[in-house]
Amino acid sequence: MALLSACGKDQSALDAAGVDAEAIRNIFMVTLVGACILWVLVNGAFYTLTRLRTDPLDDRFVRPLLIGGGIVVPSVLLIGLLAWALSILPDQRAPGDGLQVRVTGEQWWWRVEYWPDGAEEPIVTANEIRLPAGQRTEFVLDADRVIHSFWIPSLGGKMDMFPGRETRVSLHPERPGRYRGQCAEFCGVSHAWMAFAAVVMPEEEFDAWLEREAGDAVAPESAEAMRGEELFRSEGCGACHAVRGTEAVGQVGPDLTHVGSRETLGAGRLGATLEDFERWIAHTGELKPEVLMPTYDHLGEAEIADMATYLKGLK
Amino acid sequence: MTERKEQLEEIAEERASLMKITMGPLIWAIHFVICYGLAAVTCAKGWDIEMARVGLLVFSVGSLGAIIWVGWNSWRQWNPHETGDYFNSWGRAEDRHHFLGHAAFLLAIISFLGVVFTSLPLVMLGGCQ
Repeated sequence: MALLSACGKDQSALDAAGVDAEAIRNIFMVTLVGACILWVLVNGAFYTLTRLRTDPLDDRFVRPLLIGGGIVVPSVLLIGLLAWALSILPDQRAPGDGLQVRVTGEQWWWRVEYWPDGAEEPIVTANEIRLPAGQRTEFVLDADRVIHSFWIPSLGGKMDMFPGRETRVSLHPERPGRYRGQCAEFCGVSHAWMAFAAVVMPEEEFDAWLEREAGDAVAPESAEAMRGEELFRSEGCGACHAVRGTEAVGQVGPDLTHVGSRETLGAGRLGATLEDFERWIAHTGELKPEVLMPTYDHLGEAEIADMATYLKGLK
Repeated sequence: MTERKEQLEEIAEERASLMKITMGPLIWAIHFVICYGLAAVTCAKGWDIEMARVGLLVFSVGSLGAIIWVGWNSWRQWNPHETGDYFNSWGRAEDRHHFLGHAAFLLAIISFLGVVFTSLPLVMLGGCQ
């Protein structure tokens, strides 16, 4: 029971929140129950023949049992299971209902671009994926330097991401909620810290969110936030990070235009409170070993707090 | 027939049935390599995948037919329904001959299933994704 308590969380293939995850869960359940039945039958036969009926059996009984149980039944079952598994694949590769999301696996974060139907340029964000419920959305996957794998267990199957080669997967979420995605292919030291929040929203809410996400960053209002913005500029953060509407246009690291509205920091490494922002800036390398971003521990406590206030304000 | 000639024929027959037990798995292996190889090259080069798919399906049916033929041939060599001997446990040349037919027959069944498994994605999936 202690193990089962982990099954109802935001990253469980057994707690399906979409059409694709449900299809996979059904196959898993049928296979599991079938395996249990087979286990009982095989061990029952073994027990019967070694303990209860040890005298030689009649050929007329044994031969059909061997041919039926050893060849015919396993063949039919395995062909049936394979056909069932193959039958759900086309859905998971279907082109989707309009919205396309391009995700690039980086070490160790996710570059995310939303391409609404007919869009000429993408809405760029990072480390969080939002999806409209009740529709199929197609993901086009790529990777920067090494192989990663894109997986939101509650929503569907995983798909590897290769440098220089596009792969596709599509997801049809049903139940709005907050789920967790995780890189599922070892990609370096901080592989385990390469996650993201996947938020499924009712369609109208999603449209409103996407429109806001497409806009430029909001200008800082408080004195702390303004000092934070100045520090962000003078420390050279904009060489790696983009904040649309400012002079920060770096493409090396995650886009921070609306980082304050995200649910996690550092690709699912931390939550997104003001304290989390401070921790991330001051302890980057500790929190995510070998990350490219330098640790800004040379800044004073007050400076870090200002910068965190600025970033948290980028809603 | 001289004794010598009889022996030579027997050796030739046994050699043939040693070859025969490899036939089923060989067809399966060739089918596997051609299916995966052609599908991969077709997708990489952007050739017409539907044509490749239909071609491979025809090839699969042909492979299954060839395996059935090998199986039927091996069954006749094993010949358990006429000899009444399923296990051929005596070490005479005739027993070895029947036994090789038995082995080839079982391998043909496995190979048939292998080709069915390899072909199922061709039947159920289209395109390169």
